[in-house]
Amino acid sequence: MSKLTTGSFSIEELENVQIRIGSIVGVIENKIEEQREIGPTPKPGIVDLRDWDYKLLDRYEPVYTPMCDQCCYCTFGKCDLSGNKEGACGIDMKAHQAREFLLRVITGAAAHAGHGRHLLHYLIKKYGHDHPIDVGPSNLKMPVTQTVTGYRPETLGDLEQVLDYVEEQLTQLLATIHMGQEGAAIDFESKALHGGMIDHVGMEVSDVAQISCLGMPKSDAKAPLAEIGMGCIDSTKPVLLCIGHNVAAVTYIIDYMEEHDFSDKIELCGLCCTAIDMTRYQMDSGGKPSAKIVGSLAKELKMIRSGIPDAIVVDEQCVRADVLREAQKLSIPVITTNDKIMYGLPNRSKDSVDDILKDLVSGKEAGALVLDFNIVGELAPRLAWEMAPIRKKKGITALPDDEEFKELTSKCIQCLACELVCPTNLPISKAMKATSEGDLVPFERLHDKCIGCGRCEQACPKGIPILNVIEKASQKVIREEKGMMRSGRGQISDPEIREEGVNLVLGTTPGVVAMVGCSNYPDGTKDLYTVANEMLKRNYIVVMSGCSAMDLGMYKNDEGKTLYEQYPAKFLKGNLINVGSCVANAHITATAIKVAAIFAKRNVTANFEEIADYVLNRVGAVGVAWGAYSQKASSIGTGCNRLGIPVIVGPHGSKYRRALIGKPYNKDKWTVHDARNGEVMPIAPAPEFLLTTAETIEELMPMLAKSCIRPSDNNMGRMIKLTHYIELSQKYLGVMPDDWHIFVRGETDLPLSKREELLNILETGHGWEIDWKRKKILSGPSMKLDVSAQPTNIQRLCKEA
Amino acid sequence: MVDTIKNTRIYTTWGTKTAKPIQPKTAANIITKAKRPLLVVGSAVLDEEILDRAVSIAKIGVPVAATGHSIKGFVDKGVYARYINVHSLGGYLGDHSWPGLDGKGQYDTIIVLAHKKYYINQVLSGLKNFTNLITISIDKNYLQNATMSFGNLSHESHLEALDELIENLITGKQWRI
Repeated sequence: MSKLTTGSFSIEELENVQIRIGSIVGVIENKIEEQREIGPTPKPGIVDLRDWDYKLLDRYEPVYTPMCDQCCYCTFGKCDLSGNKEGACGIDMKAHQAREFLLRVITGAAAHAGHGRHLLHYLIKKYGHDHPIDVGPSNLKMPVTQTVTGYRPETLGDLEQVLDYVEEQLTQLLATIHMGQEGAAIDFESKALHGGMIDHVGMEVSDVAQISCLGMPKSDAKAPLAEIGMGCIDSTKPVLLCIGHNVAAVTYIIDYMEEHDFSDKIELCGLCCTAIDMTRYQMDSGGKPSAKIVGSLAKELKMIRSGIPDAIVVDEQCVRADVLREAQKLSIPVITTNDKIMYGLPNRSKDSVDDILKDLVSGKEAGALVLDFNIVGELAPRLAWEMAPIRKKKGITALPDDEEFKELTSKCIQCLACELVCPTNLPISKAMKATSEGDLVPFERLHDKCIGCGRCEQACPKGIPILNVIEKASQKVIREEKGMMRSGRGQISDPEIREEGVNLVLGTTPGVVAMVGCSNYPDGTKDLYTVANEMLKRNYIVVMSGCSAMDLGMYKNDEGKTLYEQYPAKFLKGNLINVGSCVANAHITATAIKVAAIFAKRNVTANFEEIADYVLNRVGAVGVAWGAYSQKASSIGTGCNRLGIPVIVGPHGSKYRRALIGKPYNKDKWTVHDARNGEVMPIAPAPEFLLTTAETIEELMPMLAKSCIRPSDNNMGRMIKLTHYIELSQKYLGVMPDDWHIFVRGETDLPLSKREELLNILETGHGWEIDWKRKKILSGPSMKLDVSAQPTNIQRLCKEA
Repeated sequence: MVDTIKNTRIYTTWGTKTAKPIQPKTAANIITKAKRPLLVVGSAVLDEEILDRAVSIAKIGVPVAATGHSIKGFVDKGVYARYINVHSLGGYLGDHSWPGLDGKGQYDTIIVLAHKKYYINQVLSGLKNFTNLITISIDKNYLQNATMSFGNLSHESHLEALDELIENLITGKQWRI
């Protein structure tokens, strides 16, 4: 009997009859078996990659920095765990912190996977189970999914089973949070790494599904540029603002606006990742995005308070919990389109557009929950259209007029309560004083550094609406906030990897710096520009995503060009890439996997451990989440970590409660096997950590260069990487790094321009023996330079093992 | 004399153990009694007035862990200062096998100055829960996760408090680098 497969079938004798088989029990296993090279861990459960995690955690030890010394998970407590005490259930502080970290990771992973499931339901309903997956010119279409699960999805329907796996793993991981049970911190850590890996599968499903169906750019280096910034919003038109991460509902709005000739008449703009995906929609064959981007979460409250939006549509994830309350004060109706955010609004999903419109325009209702996207598509633009004249006539804004502004700033009693509660302890009081004396500059400076949380207002004993004061004082700079962002291009294609993979592994391209994550920056958005600009000039490949991708587009050079306009967007040295929104982060780990698959011809199918080992030892990539705040940023970073990619977060990232940091002074931890014969080889301590923080970008930049050093670097590659490490340290820290010499395996690793000077330091400062006639190192390095060596942490991969 | 304990406001609390507010003289006495003190400075030390005082403390013989990009301020100052990432340092300080910045072994008393409040409080949280180190904040913000801390101070009072601390340190013991 022939095997049944999924898909649509016609029966010849019966006209007009079509049978569709959507799902067969065990089909995923059958498909995996049909493939030739199956790795050892298809669809791994919690325990299956535990040995790999233990290897990582042996070298990169957890450093715990608790946010709270207590546990309040169950009614035994609260338990005081300070000083690593045990609570009533027996858990100690370390294990509890590891559990807390795990909870952050799986919360983030669930947000992405939930987003993916929601999108998939909708896309399958609209495009069908058999709609093909299309990510551009690649055979390896879903590298993360294939490496983790062993499965190679071809259609939208195939993705359902991948998400089934993701959801099962997340449920099992969530179950381990329950009181008692796990008592070993290291196993909570292994579970966190599992959750991070699972997150990247969920993200990949989400982005690949929308790329395949919504006409988004497919590995397109020429993805269009989109306008960004509060200053680019044309407030003379009715303004419709969309906030969130899930673009599904907004696509109906864009379609309706085009079909009904609203596109030029209504200003459609977005905040957070929905905004990025609005500019990707239907852009795979070129064109100019009709939607504009306001910015990241930091701009949400600021944009609403400006009074500019005439209607707001929210979907899910990074959306402030007080959007409805804030909007209501300014007569801005809110439409919620996703069951994750309902704000207590009545469900109007089955009502007519005219009825809902009537209630919202009249102000009878402050907002409506509408889960039917056909209704949202028509309702939202019509609502903005009708609200605009009403709101403009009243001149509604939360910002004070000149008179009120003066009065408010003079009310400040310099008690410093606002600075105490400000997440970044900004000098608000000083700025308030300066403003009352007519100097707006300090507040203009604060405007960019302010993350727009509004906590200061809750603390002010005089009831000053501080955020409104900052925004009023900064009107001039806000008007100038106009930039460009390259719309998300999706995956790195197979041909691009073929071209560049060799340079990455040998180190002649100094590394990939992936700047991801949110907007909780320690010192404003410009830091991103400074870092990206420096690394691009040094020929690193800079990859952007999410809020970082947006904020980068806000700054221009002297010629008025953003970095997106200055640098090409291929996967080549010195190129600047935006992969897309938050869920597009999966394309960053996918790129590292593709290097192993395409350049090194490694079997990736269900072979996570071997691929992660390859990445850790050979792919010079580092992630930066400079403004990380969300649980999603912790899961994205942790997924990178399990795959062997180190990640640096900004100082606020210390609140994630744990880092994974190696000890360079502990020489035993810095060895690998040579896969040719199983011999143990000493290596330099790089990457030195898997997850850590930096205080400032000046500290960050040499850390980035050092984090791209790998055991597989050839002498040219090591020389290039060492040059950047030394130069960046000298430029930003004012000193040679203390540890540069430990990366030197021979004289050919030394930067050419400084070779003599460095040989001298090695001889006099470190006691190395130098043959000065031949300018050769005779003795000193703790490791040999052997470009043929095959570094691995997995003994079973060694020939003699 | 400046009163450094009268204002110890906090926004939220970490838990049951909270830094004891201290006066400059008490801080100096404890640092003087330390066998292996370490001054851990953040990038805010690059404010010239603070830097002068940090250098003065270093000149008395307290080695400096220069975190963030603060090492810039210590070049050519004739004091012992080494760059180290503060998060890594937080981990190493809990490890008895760490040879220290100078290869002479672990420290017993950690003094923190010129940091981002929210950042150093996290590092101190790790030290508070997983080590027996004495940690003293001489920063201008009250750092509740230290063992002892100055309260919240204005810039001027902070400078005055540091001067008083230095004066008391000078009359106390000198450390050998």
